Amino acid sequence: MEILQGVLYGFQVALQPVNLLYCFVGVFIGTLVGVLPGLGPAAAIALLLPSTFAVTPVAAIIMLAGIYYGAMYGGSTTSILVNIPGEAASVVTCLDGHAMARQGRAGAALGISAFGSFIAGTLSVIILTFLAPLLAKVTLSFGPPEYFALMILGLTLLTYFARESMVKALMMAAVGLLCGTVGQDTISGRFRFAFGIRTLEDGLGLVPVIMGLFGISEVLLNLEQRAEATEVFAAPTRGLMPTREDWRRSTVPILRGSVLGFFLGVLPGAGAIIASFVSYAVEKRASKHPERFGTGMIEGVAGPEAANNAAAGGGFIPLLTLGIPANAVMAILLGALLIHGLQPGPLLVKQAPDVFWGFITSMYIGNIMLLVLNLPLIPFWAKLLRVPYAIMFPFILLFCLIGAYSVTNNVGDGVVMWVFGIIGYLMKKFDYEGAPLILAMVIGPMMEESLRQSLILSGGTFAVFLVRPISAVFIVAALVLIAFPLLRRRGRPAVVTA
Amino acid sequence: MSRDLVSGVFWLAVAVFALVQGAALKLGTLRAPGPGFFPFWGGVVLAALSLVLLGDALRHRAGEAVLSWARAPGFRKVFIVLVLILGYLLALEWLGFGAVTFLFVLLLFRLERKGWMASVLSGVLGSAAAYLIFQVWLKTQLPAGPWGF
Repeated sequence: MEILQGVLYGFQVALQPVNLLYCFVGVFIGTLVGVLPGLGPAAAIALLLPSTFAVTPVAAIIMLAGIYYGAMYGGSTTSILVNIPGEAASVVTCLDGHAMARQGRAGAALGISAFGSFIAGTLSVIILTFLAPLLAKVTLSFGPPEYFALMILGLTLLTYFARESMVKALMMAAVGLLCGTVGQDTISGRFRFAFGIRTLEDGLGLVPVIMGLFGISEVLLNLEQRAEATEVFAAPTRGLMPTREDWRRSTVPILRGSVLGFFLGVLPGAGAIIASFVSYAVEKRASKHPERFGTGMIEGVAGPEAANNAAAGGGFIPLLTLGIPANAVMAILLGALLIHGLQPGPLLVKQAPDVFWGFITSMYIGNIMLLVLNLPLIPFWAKLLRVPYAIMFPFILLFCLIGAYSVTNNVGDGVVMWVFGIIGYLMKKFDYEGAPLILAMVIGPMMEESLRQSLILSGGTFAVFLVRPISAVFIVAALVLIAFPLLRRRGRPAVVTA
Repeated sequence: MSRDLVSGVFWLAVAVFALVQGAALKLGTLRAPGPGFFPFWGGVVLAALSLVLLGDALRHRAGEAVLSWARAPGFRKVFIVLVLILGYLLALEWLGFGAVTFLFVLLLFRLERKGWMASVLSGVLGSAAAYLIFQVWLKTQLPAGPWGF
């Protein structure tokens, strides 16, 4: 059993004290980020990326990934106690979770979120453990045309899951592709869109762009909107263990949420947010009392919380098997691996088995840490939520500023962050989403390279994408996805796009 | 003007800029695509999508008041914060990390109508904490001012 050997080897790596420490730091910071509204995991990971330059690649990826799935745990705490999502994937948890808190059942809601998250997180790592090495073998045979076709499909899927209009999401993907071309062209060596500015000649940095789009812009919006004082429920110290009845009602939603979440997490753009929404809808439909959802149904907490955690695990599949990120967080992790001289993709398991297996098994450990850590610390998180935003935001800005500067010790990167902060702020005002832009910006250079290689390979004909069966399937699927909403729109004018 | 109209025109301008730049960079041929190939076609796609958005916006003129948000009271604060961020960056290598961070935190606390005492104290504590975290613990290279920090 190759996989079993890999897992054993992985635990040897992940259980080394220094890696355990980084795992702990990661999940702790992740929970903190999840609890605090206004700073999402993407911005937080971008922020901490420079701090991992000095450590080994395994420790770096273990910590950064820990922030991501840790945030999924933390987000529910804020949703339940304050009725504000700590991060976007916990939006639906507000509905029934906060209703439960109002009925004095905050303990049960927090407890089932933690247990549900743990079960789903662990299940998704198990699926990841077995699926990733198998898929990596399949994707090993992919050539440039397959990669290009797959990335086209990925970007299309991404816009398909857009919450606003699909046209706008496609536009942001196009903008992202253009942002990705800034800097030196890898094939000809020519500078593009650089205008003689040194910062631009190196290409737009992923960290400053993400911190601008997701960090600075978020602070600006909060500054503008925040007014009303929020009511924080006193954190329960007892009653965190769900009752037998709670378990009976939650088991199936948790399992359903886990599977659903994992596979939605694999799809580009779907990720944890969509997974939690879909799980909520599924539970509501499956319930005998759909009308009581929103009034404190534990199924409406257990399912989505399981789903967003499982999705966090599923998101690693495209990164580990294809080297293509499925969401903004994966994009930064991809960047982190590249900085450490590793090429994520089908060869990773062969080239750096310590990183591949050490990182996967660290997630088993991280999930246990989160469960043990989270329940006793809930009162502490609740206290933290009482810190007023007026005191918090100067430090969030400060962290972003230092983070952007310290990646390359270049003030220009800070200015890039500033510009993208303004762009991100305006995008929210005008109903555009940032995720397609980031993802397209990261895979843009890969796409361009594979497109140009494919064309050279084929002697200049686009037929190459349709002659090869795998790429043909991807291209056709992408076309269907684009055509479907357009046809539907023709049937019913004046909807969706407004 | 609707929001889609404003943003559509903006992205159309970006698209035209990209495809003009791409064309100037040498498109190459399909057999050997040049450096301008991808930006050019990216620009074409963005332009086409912008036109779709503009078309939709013109067809369904809902009369949505768009620019009103600029007059909201919060907007002044957003503007000041943006100026302060840029100021931080421009002064960073000139005045040094310590002084700039102190001023930054101080001014942001003043913006939130905290008292002078509290603001100065937060500035001192904030810059000291940031110095310890980034310079001492994480060993980040932060620019020093004329006075050594």
